[in-house]
Amino acid sequence: MSDLPSAAPFALPTDPRVRQTKRQRMGVAEERFAWLMISPSLLVLLLVGTLPLAALIAMGLYRIDLIGYRPDGFAGLENYRDMVRDDRFWASVWTMLVYTFTSVFFQLVIGLALAMALFRPLKGQGILRVALLLPMILAPVAVGLTWRTLILTPDYGIIDAFLQMFGLGPYPWLTHPTLALVSVILIHTWQWTPFAFLVFTASLHAMPTEPFEAALIDGAGGWQRFRDITLPLLRPVIVVVIILRTMIAFRAFDAIYSATGGGPGTATEILNLYAYRISFTSLSLGYGAALGTVLLLITLMISWLVFRLRQHNQ
Amino acid sequence: MTRITRRTLAKGIAGSTAAMSSIRLFNVPAILAQTGDNANLGPYQEAQIDWRQAEGESINVLMTPAHYFQKFQAVTADLFTELTGIEVTVEVIPPAELREKAVLDLASGSGNYATHTADPMYLPLYSANDWVESLDDYIADDTLTDAAWFDVDDIVPSWRAANTVDDRLLGMPVEGEATIHVYRADVLDELGVEPPDTLEGFAQVAAEVHSPEIAGSALRGFLGAGQNMYIFPSIFLEFGGSWFAEDGSPTVNSEEGVAALQWYVDLLQNWAPAGVENWNWPEIMEAFASGGVAQFIDANSTASVIENPASSSVAGQVGYKRWPAGPTGRRVSSIWNWAMPINKAVSDNQRKATWLYLQWLASRPTQMVSATYQETEDAVVRTGVNRISIWNDPEYRELISFTEDYVDVVLTSLEEDTDPDWRPRVPQWPEIGNVMAIAVQEALTNQQTPQEALDEANRAIAEVMGG
Repeated sequence: MSDLPSAAPFALPTDPRVRQTKRQRMGVAEERFAWLMISPSLLVLLLVGTLPLAALIAMGLYRIDLIGYRPDGFAGLENYRDMVRDDRFWASVWTMLVYTFTSVFFQLVIGLALAMALFRPLKGQGILRVALLLPMILAPVAVGLTWRTLILTPDYGIIDAFLQMFGLGPYPWLTHPTLALVSVILIHTWQWTPFAFLVFTASLHAMPTEPFEAALIDGAGGWQRFRDITLPLLRPVIVVVIILRTMIAFRAFDAIYSATGGGPGTATEILNLYAYRISFTSLSLGYGAALGTVLLLITLMISWLVFRLRQHNQ
Repeated sequence: MTRITRRTLAKGIAGSTAAMSSIRLFNVPAILAQTGDNANLGPYQEAQIDWRQAEGESINVLMTPAHYFQKFQAVTADLFTELTGIEVTVEVIPPAELREKAVLDLASGSGNYATHTADPMYLPLYSANDWVESLDDYIADDTLTDAAWFDVDDIVPSWRAANTVDDRLLGMPVEGEATIHVYRADVLDELGVEPPDTLEGFAQVAAEVHSPEIAGSALRGFLGAGQNMYIFPSIFLEFGGSWFAEDGSPTVNSEEGVAALQWYVDLLQNWAPAGVENWNWPEIMEAFASGGVAQFIDANSTASVIENPASSSVAGQVGYKRWPAGPTGRRVSSIWNWAMPINKAVSDNQRKATWLYLQWLASRPTQMVSATYQETEDAVVRTGVNRISIWNDPEYRELISFTEDYVDVVLTSLEEDTDPDWRPRVPQWPEIGNVMAIAVQEALTNQQTPQEALDEANRAIAEVMGG
C-alpha cells in the first residue's frame, strides 16, 4: 500500500483488510472535514430556513390571538376548518391565481418576443437592453408607489395624460375593482418581464446553430423555424422561468401593498397580503401562520405540476 | 443616532414578512441646538429630582419619521444625555411597520424597545395584555417626578384622556394634532360663498365650487385604520352613530351610521378629484397646495406645509375652521397624539431611565425648545405641542399664526371637539379598524351600498367581539 499516493484519499487499495481500516480512517477524517465545511451553511439554512418553516407549520395548529377574543392554545386543524368557511380567504386565493397566471403568461410572451426581437444585432442594442432590465432592479415598494402616484393617477398620471390627448379618460385605474386588478398585474408584468427577457436572451445565444442551418437548407420559413426549433429547444428554460416566476408572483407583496393596499375593498388582496393582514393587523398569529402554510402548499403543488408536465413532455 | 436598514435592490424575492423589514432608513440631520453649555439645563434642574439616578443606562426607542421627532432627537444629546447620563438610541421606521415591530416586541416580551411612539388606539390592546406600565405610578413617585414642575395637568387633557385605559395613563402624549376644516378663502370669496359651518353646508359649497379646474372637496379615501378610518369616525359620530349598544353588540349599521357613510360617499363621488378613493393625507395636501382642491378636512399640521410659499401656491389664501357640525349639532375632531408607553419587559433601571426620558420629552422646556426650534429658515414648525400653556404662549402663537384665528381654531378643536371614544377603544380595534376601512372603501367604490357594507362590517365586528 506504500505506492498509494497519499494525495488521493479516495483511491481504493487492493488488500480488503487494509482497505477496511485505511478507508475507515481516511473516510472518517474526510467525512468530518466535509461536515465541518458545510456545517456553517447548514446551520444558517437550519436557522433561517428550516426552523422558521417548522415554526410556521406548528403555529398554524395553534390559536394565538394577540387581540385575545378567543382563548389561545392548541387548536389542531381548527384554523384550517375556519379557512374553509372564510370567504375572504377563497377570494384571496382566486385573486392570487388570476394575478399570478396572467402576469406570468404576459411575462413569458413579452419576454420571449423582446428576446427574439433583440437577438439580431441592432443599433443601440446595448442601451435598449439596459433600459429593458431597469425595472427589475427597482425596489418593488418604490415601483408600487411610482405607478400609484406618477403613472396611474387619474387626470394627472402619465397614462391618463396620454389618453386625454385622444379625448379618453380619466380612468379609475387603481380604484375600480377590476381595473385595479388589471393595474397590479400590469405593474408586476412590467417589473418582471426583464427577468424572462434576460433568461431567454442568454438561452438564445447559447443555442446550437446547426439545426437552424439545416432548416434553412430545407427551406423552412421563419415561423416554422421558431415553432419547430426555437421553442422546443427553449422548453426547459421556459419551464424554469414559469416555475420561478410563479413562485415569486405567489409571494408578491410590496408593490400591491404600496399601490392599492389590497383595495379597493379587497379587490387586489392576494393570499400573501391577506395572511400578512391577519398576522400583523388583526394579530391573529395562528390563523395567519395557517394561511402562510396553505400558500406554501399551493406554491409547492403548482411547481410540482409544472415540473411533472415538463418531464411528461420529454 | 439612527439605525439604518437597507434592502437589497436586486430582487424582490421577499417572504411574507418582507414588508416589515423592507422599509428603509431615515436620515436624521445632525441638527444640534447651538446650545452647548450647561446653562441650557437650568430649566430642568429646577425640578426637585435626581436626574442622574439612572446614569450610564441606555434605552432603545422606536420613532416614526416626522419632523417633530427629528426636532426631539436633535436636542436629546445636549439636553437629555447631558442632564441624565442616559444614552438614547432611536430607530426610525414608518408608522405601519413601527406598529408591527412594537407589538411583536411587546408580545414576545423580548424588551428590545423601552418605549415607542404608539398609536393611542393600541393602548387598550397593550392594557389587555398587561404589556406596559401605568404612568400614574411614575408620576406619583416623588423620587422620579417633581409633580409641580412637570405639571401633568398642563398636557392637553383630551390626549391624556385618549391615552387612559381603565383609569390608568398608559402613554405619554408628546405630540398630536386635531382634524380641522381647511378651505381656500379666495375661491370662496370670489364666488360669494360663506365658509360652511355644517356637513350639509360643506357638501353644498363643494358642489358650488366644483369645476374641472378645482375639486370641491377631498377627504381621505385610501383604506386603512389610520387612513379612511381617521376621518370617517368623526362623520359617523356627528351623524349620531355609535360603535356599540349598551349590551356591547356593535351598531355600526344603524340608520345614523348608514347616513354618515352615504354622505361621505356622495360627497367624494361627486365633488372630489378623480382617484380620491386612493388618497391619503399627503395626496390631499399636495393637491390643495397646488390649487386643485377647494376644501378638505384633515390634520391641522397640514397648515405648516400649505402655508409655506416654497411648497405651496396657495399660501396666504387659506382659511381654517373647526369641523363642520353634523346633523346632531356635534363637532368631532380626531384625537390623535403620539403616545409613549413604558415597556414592562425592560429592566427596572431601564424603566426608570425611560420614565426620565418621557418626563423630559413631555416637559414644558423640551416642548418649548422643540416648538421654536428651526433647523433652517423655512423648516416646518411643530403644530402639535402637548401643552396648553405653550399653545397660549405669545412666542409660540406668533410662530404658527398662519391666520388670525388658526391657533384658536386648533385650540378650541382640541378642547371642545374631542371625544375619547372617537374610535372604539377596545383591544379588538386593529381588526375593527381594518373591517371598517374595507367597508367604507367598498361603499365608496360602489362595490356595495353603504347599508350592505356596514351590515357586513357589523357582522364581522360582532364576530371579532366574540358575539
